[in-house]
Amino acid sequence: MRSFVNEFLKLEKPKGYYEELVSEISMLNKEYHAFTNINSKMIDCAEGSIPFSSKANICVKGFETTAGSKMLKGYIPPFDATAVERMLGSGSFSFLGETNMDEFGFGTFGLNTETPARNAFGREYVAGGSSSGAAVATALLKYHVALSESTGGSISTPAALNGVVGFTPTYGTISRYGLIDYANSLDKIGVMARSSGDARIAFDIVRGKDRYDTTCSVEKINGNKKTKLFVVKELMEKTEKRVKASFSSLLDKLSSDYEIREISSEILSKSIAPYYIIAMAEASTNLAKYDGYKYGLQYEGYNKRYNDFFTEARSSFGDEAKRRIILGTFIRSESVKAKYYTKALRIRALIIKEMSRILHEGFIISPTIPIPTPKISEAASLTPLENYAIDIFTIPPNIGGFPHITFPYGYMDGMPLGAQVITEQANDYAVLDFVSDWEEEFEYRYKHDVGSL
Amino acid sequence: MKIGLEVHVALPTKSKLFCSCSMADTDEPNSQICPICLGFPGAKPMLNEAAVSSALGIAAALHCNINKEISFVRKVYFYPDLPKCYQITQMEGAIGSRGYLEIEGKEVRIRRVQIEEDPAQIVREGMLTLLDFNRSGTPLVEIVTEPDITTEEELRAFIANLRSILYYLGVDINKEIKADLNISLAEVRVEVKNVTGIKSLIEATRFEIERQAEAIKNGEEIARETRGYNEKNKLTESLREKETDEEYGYIYDPDLTTFEINGIEHAKAVYITEVSQRLTEGTDVDPKTIKEMTMLDRRALGLINKFNGKYKLRSVVHGMQRFQKYAGNLNAADHKIEKSIALAEKGVAITKEMIQDIAEGKEVKVKYEKVGNAELDDMIKKFLDKNPKVLEEYRRNKKTANLVIGIIAKESNLHPKDVARRVNQVLSAY
Repeated sequence: MRSFVNEFLKLEKPKGYYEELVSEISMLNKEYHAFTNINSKMIDCAEGSIPFSSKANICVKGFETTAGSKMLKGYIPPFDATAVERMLGSGSFSFLGETNMDEFGFGTFGLNTETPARNAFGREYVAGGSSSGAAVATALLKYHVALSESTGGSISTPAALNGVVGFTPTYGTISRYGLIDYANSLDKIGVMARSSGDARIAFDIVRGKDRYDTTCSVEKINGNKKTKLFVVKELMEKTEKRVKASFSSLLDKLSSDYEIREISSEILSKSIAPYYIIAMAEASTNLAKYDGYKYGLQYEGYNKRYNDFFTEARSSFGDEAKRRIILGTFIRSESVKAKYYTKALRIRALIIKEMSRILHEGFIISPTIPIPTPKISEAASLTPLENYAIDIFTIPPNIGGFPHITFPYGYMDGMPLGAQVITEQANDYAVLDFVSDWEEEFEYRYKHDVGSL
Repeated sequence: MKIGLEVHVALPTKSKLFCSCSMADTDEPNSQICPICLGFPGAKPMLNEAAVSSALGIAAALHCNINKEISFVRKVYFYPDLPKCYQITQMEGAIGSRGYLEIEGKEVRIRRVQIEEDPAQIVREGMLTLLDFNRSGTPLVEIVTEPDITTEEELRAFIANLRSILYYLGVDINKEIKADLNISLAEVRVEVKNVTGIKSLIEATRFEIERQAEAIKNGEEIARETRGYNEKNKLTESLREKETDEEYGYIYDPDLTTFEINGIEHAKAVYITEVSQRLTEGTDVDPKTIKEMTMLDRRALGLINKFNGKYKLRSVVHGMQRFQKYAGNLNAADHKIEKSIALAEKGVAITKEMIQDIAEGKEVKVKYEKVGNAELDDMIKKFLDKNPKVLEEYRRNKKTANLVIGIIAKESNLHPKDVARRVNQVLSAY
């Protein structure tokens, strides 16, 4: 099993290593905007500490945590998220900084924030979202793991676009305490790394029950290897032809070890609508608390009436956040709730049932996104609906809370290509092992190796 | 007329509903707070089982169907006292539903018993609006009735019974009860929100009944609206007209999973009306006396149960009433209360001095003997036979009776009052 973390621990670090590391990544960050904040105290960390970053929606005590939003500008959490606490408590990791993201996680390309992160393979390309910075940071730093978070594909998509491993565990495996909520029934903290071995090390440190998160209840994780790989016909039909062709060559390579089968599942191609309905309904309640006087943005209009105060303070949300608040509030309203929200919950239950059945038999494999990496200018011109359609492969495992992993499998026009493997709930080790096997055959490439020894 | 109630009371837990902050009384604002009850980004609720247990006792006492699994919803509205701008409360997954509370031969149906969190407290000082988050996250139970109450008397009876049931479950609504009233004399439902205290609740109801009756009499239309109660002027005032129900955009709270309530222990209810009926059956004691004595005194009920049987119920009740009257309460050792009961059983007229002696642990001096009426009448007749002039004197001057009373009481060691009753009878019969 390849692990840069284990390699790092064995290697001699030169004097001033961390100082050099912090200064080099700070320089590069001016080009890539991977970090919203770099922890300068990292230079005083314990000898041999491995740097870890956390997505800007995971609270770090005493460190500005904004979830990519103006509404939280200046907010310094008084507590550590459980995942951060466990990383720091492990004694092996030191906190390097917080990584860029779409505002509150609302985005597929990382563009929905003031200063978007740039793709580590080409600055004119999107970094992917919403954990844009986590993926870029992982592609820039040789010895590092990134705590990130996925609601509907926010780990898989940016990991694929920056050619790193992106692992999203079973829902309820890693405590969400300290994770700034997007959609609580969908949010999952996960890990990005340069190898599946590194992702597994961090996963084992942060996972496990936490009394501060009632939904965090998965304790036992399995690694039941599957021998079948399923490709869902209805999803592949929506894939761009060059991506399809590259993906076929991956399947050819895998066919010596796995039985590859095309299956048909109508309901999996219908997961985008229920996903966005549930996500927006929950998000619109989570975003209610940002009202401009408690933390983060301080709106000073104290002579205003409450409703005017709230309305004006809340105008600082970005466009996508506003769109989701308005749609989410509409979805929750009494007159349409049964038509949208309640129905979406039912469809989610059906998707979980169908996927559990399929995943019991084998893994589901697909490209991570159905299009080649778009340039920032191209992505910015997409309509919201075209944008949401990019999530076609990442939403099914996310809506059902199934563990999945994305890994680089090739390069097209110099840009990495990612594939995603999904397995049954609580069988997380199986997908980590799958990628570990892949890494025996395939060498990942990077343009930068900050901190290499 | 139809009256429905939504009663809110705080549950007697040591910590808050979704965090471990203390619920102890404190004068220091914002001293019992944490990221959870402040609703900080990233904080999550964790359910306090003691609150569930307490609410479960209340739901069971109100004969509710107890849900096997409970869940929570988010009720979204913007107000500065609400830290998350949504309140965690319950709907379909409430603790209990479809129960009733009996009041003098009638059942008031209970729609739902649910738990929810209290917002922070708003304190207004001059131009300032201050917020005290110590209250934020206080566990509340909300009891929602169907509109089955039809008179002020029924409302009083409902509150009295509810109060005694809750009291025995450790919740004293006399301290703080907050209620929303729905009152409709005609078709249109008028809501009176946030009435605090039992007294205000009754007054607000009375005012609203009269107001609506007057309006109907004058042929005016009653507006569908939400009103508030002005305690100072004892009247309800319109807050806002409402065309439709408020839109709170309820959704399940995805931070709290569904909880199974199997295995959560809860206290059993005590129904004072039933208990007093049962105790007084076949005795000459009025059940109302027991009801009043025990309604808000756990000790009274305990003592009655302990001594009933060993002594006659009448003596138990009388002895305790005397003790309560002269000592101010029943907070004394059982054996002291028993002394008072024993005196009552002997027919002794219990005095304040006696109770004081009992309370101080001194020997009780029984000052007066007790005799039956016939015996006492004999004594009086004997005295008159010996002193025939007394009767003549009495006919001229009725006050002569006092002389007779004094002499007989002294000689016989009887209470002058007891003697007086018979002396007047006997003398007037001659």
